[in-house]
Amino acid sequence: MNQRKIALISVAILILAIAGYYAWLRFERPAQVAQVQQAAQPATLGKAQQTGPAPEFEAATTAGHFDLAEVKKPVFLEVFATWCPHCQRETAVLNKLYAAYGKKVAFVAVSGSDSAMDGDSPASAADVLKFATIFNVKYPIAYDGRLAVADLYLQGGYPTIAVIDAKKTVSYINSGELPYDTLAAEIQKVLK
Amino acid sequence: MRIAVALVRIAMGVMLVAAGALKIGHAPTLAAAIAGFRLLPSPIVAPLSIGLPFLEVFVGLYLIVGFYARTAAYVATAQYLLYAFAIASAVIRGIPANCGCFGPGDAATADWPHVAFDLVLGALCAFVAWRAPGAFALDERLNTR
Repeated sequence: MNQRKIALISVAILILAIAGYYAWLRFERPAQVAQVQQAAQPATLGKAQQTGPAPEFEAATTAGHFDLAEVKKPVFLEVFATWCPHCQRETAVLNKLYAAYGKKVAFVAVSGSDSAMDGDSPASAADVLKFATIFNVKYPIAYDGRLAVADLYLQGGYPTIAVIDAKKTVSYINSGELPYDTLAAEIQKVLK
Repeated sequence: MRIAVALVRIAMGVMLVAAGALKIGHAPTLAAAIAGFRLLPSPIVAPLSIGLPFLEVFVGLYLIVGFYARTAAYVATAQYLLYAFAIASAVIRGIPANCGCFGPGDAATADWPHVAFDLVLGALCAFVAWRAPGAFALDERLNTR
């Protein structure tokens, strides 16, 4: 077998592997294909910026009404999507942070996507509660049908996490699956 | 020199195989990471998130075995330069994008050290392309360059 034949066969294997993987996703994991389509949409870029003033927002959370203007302590905000794998895994990190800092910092997680967990259905309060149940969310969580908080805070993608100090300045804002130590250090900064 | 080229070629190949393998099966996460850079339209992001990991593994395997090593090294160089460009543009535009370099376990944020890292990897791949194939390469046995 000459080298050109080997190269052609290996390229064919590559193409078949990609096609096979896509076919497997399409027929065996349709929800994941929907998640890919959702994730491929770039999230809107909110006006909140690090070291800038925290835009005012309100949310009806599982722990009652939340109004940024009325909160006297630092705030830990997460904008998430129920279908987002990063956000699903990040719940464990946020639970741990809430257990450590929940008394000194006001935690609030607000939904920020118009799609539900399956990637196809529209977002709803029921979907957010289902997310909270499945992922054992301990911190206050809210459904925001108008995506008002996402419009203000969402950055590179889901989840976006913001730490706001008691003077209502955005001390930290970042997106993605952020590790416990990073977030704990950012919380410590606003508690000083 | 042939040994040095082979070592760099194999190291770059292993890195690409690892980076690609860690992303396979995590297409939504990769799609979110790519979309976060706000450089590509969504109709391109979705197929890219499915195909890119396989391409990385494929190019990495070519480098490891030294088959069409020069071509594979050129492709790897282009990949790393594109990654560096994407990360640099996110940093300049102030977008806190996720690197997404090594799959869902990699939560590193796109920053200048990542740009430098990709440029170094790109330079090493360019070195392999320049002096390919090096020792222990299938190209030498099959006479492909």
